[in-house]
Amino acid sequence: MGMGKYLLIRALNALIVLSIVTLVVSALFVKMAEKDLENRIQELVNSEYQSLVQKGRAPADPEAWREERIAYYRHQFKLDRPYWWRVLYYAKRTITLDFGNTRIPIFGTERNVKNIIALALPRTILLFTTAQIIVIIIGLLLGVKAAQKVGSLFDRALSILALITTSIPMWWFGMMMLLIFAFKLGWFPANSMPDPNLTGLAHVLDVAKRLVLPVTTIVFVLFGGWAWVTRNIMIGTMQEDFIMAARAKGVPERKVIYGHALRAAAPPIVTMTIFSLLGSLGGAIITESVFNWPGMGRVYWIAIQTNEINLVMGLTFISVALYLIGVIIADISYGFLDPRVRVGASAKM
Amino acid sequence: MVRWVDLKDSISNFWFEFKRQKTGILGILLLIFWIVVAISAPYITEPDIPDKWKTIWIDYPKTVPPTWVKFFTGVEEAPHYVIHSDQLQQYITTTSRGVIIDIPYNMKYDVPPQDIVIMDISGNSTNRRLKPSLTLKVKRPDGEEITLVSGLKIKGSTDVQVARDSSVRKAVINWVKQKTGVQLDPTKEFELITTLDTLKVVFAQVSPDMLDNPKPLKGEYHIIIEIKTPKGTSVDLSKTEVIFTGRTYGYLGTDDKGRDLFAGIVWGSRVSLSIGIATAVLTVLVGIFYGVAAAYFGGWTDEIMMRFQEFMASIPSLPILILLGTYFGGHIQLWQIVLLLTVFGWVGIARVARSMAYQIKEQTYVEAAIALGAGTGRIIFKHMVPQLLPYAFAQMALSVPGAVLAEASLSFLGLGDPTQVTWGQILHDAQNAGAAVNGYWWWVIPPGLAIALVALTFVLLGTALDRVLNPRLRRL
Repeated sequence: MGMGKYLLIRALNALIVLSIVTLVVSALFVKMAEKDLENRIQELVNSEYQSLVQKGRAPADPEAWREERIAYYRHQFKLDRPYWWRVLYYAKRTITLDFGNTRIPIFGTERNVKNIIALALPRTILLFTTAQIIVIIIGLLLGVKAAQKVGSLFDRALSILALITTSIPMWWFGMMMLLIFAFKLGWFPANSMPDPNLTGLAHVLDVAKRLVLPVTTIVFVLFGGWAWVTRNIMIGTMQEDFIMAARAKGVPERKVIYGHALRAAAPPIVTMTIFSLLGSLGGAIITESVFNWPGMGRVYWIAIQTNEINLVMGLTFISVALYLIGVIIADISYGFLDPRVRVGASAKM
Repeated sequence: MVRWVDLKDSISNFWFEFKRQKTGILGILLLIFWIVVAISAPYITEPDIPDKWKTIWIDYPKTVPPTWVKFFTGVEEAPHYVIHSDQLQQYITTTSRGVIIDIPYNMKYDVPPQDIVIMDISGNSTNRRLKPSLTLKVKRPDGEEITLVSGLKIKGSTDVQVARDSSVRKAVINWVKQKTGVQLDPTKEFELITTLDTLKVVFAQVSPDMLDNPKPLKGEYHIIIEIKTPKGTSVDLSKTEVIFTGRTYGYLGTDDKGRDLFAGIVWGSRVSLSIGIATAVLTVLVGIFYGVAAAYFGGWTDEIMMRFQEFMASIPSLPILILLGTYFGGHIQLWQIVLLLTVFGWVGIARVARSMAYQIKEQTYVEAAIALGAGTGRIIFKHMVPQLLPYAFAQMALSVPGAVLAEASLSFLGLGDPTQVTWGQILHDAQNAGAAVNGYWWWVIPPGLAIALVALTFVLLGTALDRVLNPRLRRL
């Protein structure tokens, strides 16, 4: 199968999955928002009535007036349509990237969902991607080092550290960091919202200072796992024949490890890298909440709590789409990096 | 048929291998520890903790650290001191106008008690307008006397919490003003009425700055409770207890509702273990059978099943869990959490199981069985699934931490089961009360450590099992 055809099939596949996820989320959320909307209509009609009474223009027949207004709003909010129609309506709008507005402004004044995501996504990328890159670098270096000396004190200490750090809830570790470094010692600000009055270099420094605690938290919790996986993959590759051959030829050990072994171990590591970078885009909802970091995860939580259908739909759509794009990229890069893998095998992921 | 001897043999072989895994042994020890804690929770603490957890524990000190902190700070803080009803009887004298309770209290600490709580005074009245009334005074070693509560009407069974009452604070502030002649500006006074640590002032040396910087006055105090019983009224003190709530409490301190955090942590182990294990077992079973079925049927069935698997994998699970949580009315019951975590958890295992099952399917004895006309069920259950069992066992142990963390995360967001005491909920309450801001470290550290320790237990077990049961990895 040619590369082009393969790509096309993968893309189609991703689109189908994306549509189904959107439909399911839409079905769930439309149902959830129904009651909320009914309540809002009641409130709206009540306040309208009050203001009419205050102006001395109370309707002659309050009951009929009320019914008429409720019907009007039900039409406005599309509540007079059947359930399945509304599900399809929201799903279609989302897929065509028409996310609409939120009811209550998020981040001060912003009500357009696209703009909100455009504000939040870079912040999440800034936090999680920075952290993730540090994790990958530290993890790879330590993992390779441990694989070089299997069974040594360093190797064992790293394994134990990896087991312990992966057992810690990231958000709890974040709370601890806040407790110690923000409140007890006062070294770093506890709130991650950037100071709006600062510009230029002062702004950069301010953001950098607010990044320290969350980044440290993420790095500490995740690097051990990375180091451990890298170590295991490397140990596997180091036992392959071509490494023995390289050593027998007299290739220097450094070159054997970084030139031969790491290159052979690259495909799974690159896949892992792509997936963790993508996973980081959605933002860890709770971690962002603990640090009050105004990224995707924090917005998601606010959106769910305040029942903002449009925002939830938009956020879900973007994160699922990014994930699916990542899967395709991972697939292709796997094929490029490891010639043994036939790209056509769609089963490999 | 599996023969008993074979089974015994394979178990002892397994144990022989497992014994050599130090991390595995540590994992087993930790697991035994947790099981003992979970089972003995009603005996180590009290049997009605889950019910009691929903209430405010008025007879306990609020947000105080554990008792052992004094070894680090060197400050002697008043311990929790309860005068039970039978002991109280000896302080009671009955007069013609009512009852006087005179409780001696030896204040020999650097920090006085947090509160004086009088529990369960029962007043009866046949007359509608007259009720027994309570007055509470403190006689200090320097001869001074402060009236904290005066003329409180007792209707039915009443509890009195002295230090949480703003009118008591007002009385104390007035007494200080009178004694020391200090002037307070109105904003300062208003602030004190809501924030003053009452008993620190009641048990302090008289000095002009005693409101801001009270220094303890040690010595013998008398807490005098006078209850007037006008005609037609009576008071029942047979169940009454007087509690001097401490500045420290128990092994792990208390939270802002006075709940004993040690009891919470002990009971939380039950939820954590049961959710973790139930979810892990279900997840792995579903994943294994899904993967094996996909591989066995192959072709179009496989294709469709894998598309569905991909669909499930691409759903961001935590947001959907939160969404469903709010959908279920804001709280997800424990079995619902297990179900939801299973629904979103089997995905990865199914994929691995499928690729392993494809290898097994290619083996000659499976082909032979198919050729001999063995049924689908027989091949799947008898020939394929047993081959995957070692992988499954290790995977079960390795799935527990994820489930434990997921449950804790949901509870932390306030979506947990409100009828249960869980570590996630304790941390949720801590976050809401600003525990980190206020430095209530004893409220934040232990629950998180407990979550991490349970997770670690199963990570240790899982990696050890993985090495023993999946020999391909043994050389690692």
